[in-house]
Amino acid sequence: MLQYQSPEQDFAFLLFNLFDVETEWGDIPAFADFGEDLVRAVVQEGGKLAAGVLAPLNQSGDQQGCRWEAGEVRTPDGFKAAFGQLAEGGWLGLSGNPAYGGQGMPKLLGCLLEEMFWSGNSSLYLYGTLTVGAAICIEAHASEAQKALYLPPLYAGTWAAAMALTEAHAGSDLGIMRTRAEPNADGSYAITGTKIFITSGEHDLTENIVHLVLARLPDAPAGSRGISLFIAPKFLPDADGRPGLRNAFASGSIEHKMGIHGSATSVMNYDGATGFLLGEPHQGLAAMFTMMNYERLSVGLQGLGAGELAYQQAVRYARERRQGRSATGPADRSAEADPLMAHADVRRMLLTIRALTEGGRAFAMLVGTQLDRGRYLDDAHAQALSELLTPIAKAFLTDRGFECAVLAQQVFGGHGFVREWGVEQIVRDTRIAQIYEGTNGIQAMDLIGRKVLRDGGRTLGYLIERMRATPVPAALQDRLDDAIDRLERVTGALRDRSGDDPDLAGAVATDYLDLAGYTLYAWLWAWMAHVAPADAFGDAKRQCADFYFSRLLPRTLALEASVLADQRSIMAVTADSF
Amino acid sequence: MPVSLRDIRFLVHDVFDFAGHYAGLGQRPGSGGAPVEAPDRAFIDAVIDEAHRFAEQELAPLMRSGDEQGCRLEDGRVITPDGFKEAYATYIAGGWAGLNGDPAYGGQGLPDSMSLFLEDLMSCANVAWTMYPGLSRGVLTALDAHGSREQKQAFMPKLLSGEWTGTMCLTEPHAGSDVGLAKTRAEPRADGVWAITGTKIFISAGEHDLAANILHLVLARVPDAPAGTRGISMFVVPRVNLDGSRNGVVCGSIEHKMGLHGNATCVLHFEEATGYLVGEANRGMRYMFTMMNAARLVVGLQGYTLAHAAFLKSAAYSRERLQMRALSGPVAPDKPADPIIVHPDVRRMLLTQRAIAEGGRALVYYAGQVADRALRGSDDERPGAHELLDFLTPIVKAVLTELAFESVNHAVQIHGGHGYIRETGIEQYVRDARITLIYEGTTQIQALDLLGRKILQTQGKGFTTFLGEVRVLADRIATPLPDLAAALGHIETEWGTLTLALGGRAMIDVDEVGAASVDYLFYSGYAALAYCWARMAEQAIAGDPDDPFLAGKLATARFYFQRMWPRAQSHKTALEAGAASLMAVSAAALTDL
Repeated sequence: MLQYQSPEQDFAFLLFNLFDVETEWGDIPAFADFGEDLVRAVVQEGGKLAAGVLAPLNQSGDQQGCRWEAGEVRTPDGFKAAFGQLAEGGWLGLSGNPAYGGQGMPKLLGCLLEEMFWSGNSSLYLYGTLTVGAAICIEAHASEAQKALYLPPLYAGTWAAAMALTEAHAGSDLGIMRTRAEPNADGSYAITGTKIFITSGEHDLTENIVHLVLARLPDAPAGSRGISLFIAPKFLPDADGRPGLRNAFASGSIEHKMGIHGSATSVMNYDGATGFLLGEPHQGLAAMFTMMNYERLSVGLQGLGAGELAYQQAVRYARERRQGRSATGPADRSAEADPLMAHADVRRMLLTIRALTEGGRAFAMLVGTQLDRGRYLDDAHAQALSELLTPIAKAFLTDRGFECAVLAQQVFGGHGFVREWGVEQIVRDTRIAQIYEGTNGIQAMDLIGRKVLRDGGRTLGYLIERMRATPVPAALQDRLDDAIDRLERVTGALRDRSGDDPDLAGAVATDYLDLAGYTLYAWLWAWMAHVAPADAFGDAKRQCADFYFSRLLPRTLALEASVLADQRSIMAVTADSF
Repeated sequence: MPVSLRDIRFLVHDVFDFAGHYAGLGQRPGSGGAPVEAPDRAFIDAVIDEAHRFAEQELAPLMRSGDEQGCRLEDGRVITPDGFKEAYATYIAGGWAGLNGDPAYGGQGLPDSMSLFLEDLMSCANVAWTMYPGLSRGVLTALDAHGSREQKQAFMPKLLSGEWTGTMCLTEPHAGSDVGLAKTRAEPRADGVWAITGTKIFISAGEHDLAANILHLVLARVPDAPAGTRGISMFVVPRVNLDGSRNGVVCGSIEHKMGLHGNATCVLHFEEATGYLVGEANRGMRYMFTMMNAARLVVGLQGYTLAHAAFLKSAAYSRERLQMRALSGPVAPDKPADPIIVHPDVRRMLLTQRAIAEGGRALVYYAGQVADRALRGSDDERPGAHELLDFLTPIVKAVLTELAFESVNHAVQIHGGHGYIRETGIEQYVRDARITLIYEGTTQIQALDLLGRKILQTQGKGFTTFLGEVRVLADRIATPLPDLAAALGHIETEWGTLTLALGGRAMIDVDEVGAASVDYLFYSGYAALAYCWARMAEQAIAGDPDDPFLAGKLATARFYFQRMWPRAQSHKTALEAGAASLMAVSAAALTDL
């Protein structure tokens, strides 16, 4: 794999030109310290860690994978030391509450850092992101004593965390899970059951692993309203908060997967394990969703990081590899063939990856700004917007990230299919991001049902107002207006029709999410083109915006037609005719 | 094994009437062998049943184990996964290797399209294994068309019996899509005998333990050959010399790949290896083109068979896996949740998969008939059939593999987390399918072939023929299927107009060809599949309305037109935007981070 480097120029453009963070953060006192110098320094340090520490273990981690021996999991060589550096640098507590050792950093900034960590090594960073997500859930729902006990070692990365939700028969449908929690005399609970697909459920990176486990209390109502959340640490903290007695759960095995071989995915057996109720009884799913929203943006960033990594590989290969001659005549007569870059279709692929990645980066940061405003300013609009945008961030960023990885592989031709170059690994590693933390189909249902139709499209309306009010270059204005009109038109039609047909929303959910995603990217590209500086970097931005509008935005035509089509054929087929 | 024989028979008998088609074909041209009777319906069915039995019993059980075990190289010999060798022995014993070969050299002389049914069933079961015998096709076609009588006598009986297999050695480390850069050289030794020296990479089935000998079809340069593709010659190089002595062919290593682990991808070193010139020197590229159609149709076939197998697995899983309730109320109230097939978004994925797999099969069978006519049709028929086949080939190769990759990814998605782990065998389809978009000419190469060579350079003769077929079909189904007929009529007009306009633009700016090519290819692919789905719908609506298979066909056809055909509009608009936005950015700006 060619060396990864952090896309610092684009980061700086987004931070200081597009989102103008000094103004954006001006009314958030908690961010008073984050001036331009500090922000640049943080991004630079994060980039060094991603490129210098995480990336060198990406390919070796894939080849070596994790090993399971008698309930213990050995991560690939070098992972422990690298995770240690991630932890010691305070990178796991970035957005955490300073009262418990977190850095209190804006989410907007966190997005950039996470993207780099994902690019550097998605298997390794998975151990980190789950730790961060669990900390967020604990901070939002745990008792004061629990926060004081668990948050400092999680933010410090001396302990890691895992989320134990899925069971063999309960994946997308958590309501049918069976793991039970029986009250113990001391107020704790005894948890019994088997969970599968538990990322980071067992490993050798940290002295303790905190499991957040979903289970049912004895009197729990059926379905999703009867699920409670428990904290079950691998080693029960002693009186000093140090890892003490070994808890009664263990990894039964690890999965052999398509990719993310360096990340251990365990079957976890809880055998009367000691757990502590987190939040209220039967409110576990709601509490878990706090964490899920964070994780969903983070998984979206995994897709984004994959796209950036894929782009860097493909673009360098396209400059070096020589095949065929440019259609307009030899571009380099001194060599026997021209670089791949001379071919129009290779450029189409490269620009597709670039437009989707840079558009995606602006989009992820947009979500970050709304999360920050919601959290620090109690801004209800921002809160609603971040909820609207989260399923798009998870699904659209990962679907496009996968597309980008596959396109990069195509630029490499046969060399993209062999392991040596590492490009096929990006494809294998990214494929899971479309599935975990709620499949992209689940995200699409969440968007259309819960986030758009439930409030009659009001939140989306706020966003569209903002999109329409953004100044953009005259050359893009009409096409942007058309795109926004299209999204409004389709949303209106669905609002009108979905009342009569309960299956309609499901039938069109995925195409609708894509339509929303491409429309948002169009807005962001037009906005970027408007604020891009008058230099070579700005020229490239404007050209890429032109490419996006010319060659990618037309995808919305198909999506509109598909959403508005007669949907009867989907449900007409009987199950046995498949 | 995951295959719908019903779908195969529906196409073979109801939609395309292969027995009638065979009755109209002549004998294999140039064969000195005894005339072969045209296969009738019962004979075709018997071949399909036997091929199915072989694939199910011998090949399907080795698909996953072959992936897990992979190939290994020991002392220059490749050891294939356990069971591959035995399955190959059964294949030879069944006489499958010579199915459509020239009877003068031991073949059975059946029409070429009969082998598509065999390939279909074998690929559904195990695509990695199927490539070992499959690669013999290239050598056979080359010898058939351009080999001398002596070469045919020496090599063809061994290939048609399956005792030997073949390869195609084109790629070199620096010469992939650009074959003209090949450096492997050939020095004359004796009359027709040459010494070949050079290194070839990515040679599928380049070394293995299934057969006694391997015939490599090698592209190389003779002394004083002109530069580029005009200086390429074609040679046959046996792994072991005809007198049993060792030839100078060494397998240096095998690749570790994303998928297709059961098939050995070799680096081959030719060290003054004895080779035999096929046809005339410096005409190798031209010969390659005559072989490409068949090889590329088969890669398209690999695409839809992987899509088909993955579709059947996800359909079965969707009926068993219980998660959540139907939006319209519980369907299985006695169970903790409903099967996921009740969810519309799961159905969207299933129908997309089905539309791709069955539409793809229809297109390949259709092209197979055209190929038969190009070879065995009447004197009047052959040239037109050849043009039509040339037009269809890049569409079949590229669009069916691209859509197959989409389809197998839907299978993973439907399986959720279970789709990502190796145990269920679903992610293997994604890893195996990925290479089909690359080998035998990448999607991009196919797109340039379609638009540059097949449309612009030949005034689109094959295209015009196909448009005529679209029109005839639209008229024929106007009464039973007015919605599909109207859509087809629209396609006929729009496709023609789009192509003309593109031709005009390409005359002004040659970059327009490359810039539009892939979008044009996809547009054409969706149009060709629309034609195929309309043909299937035509038969489905004429049949028993209570037959779930036919009802499913009809619903999938409508789904195709309603939900998938609109994609063509996006491709049309994108390509109409032109090349400017692609060529404006400087290489430095693209690389600068």
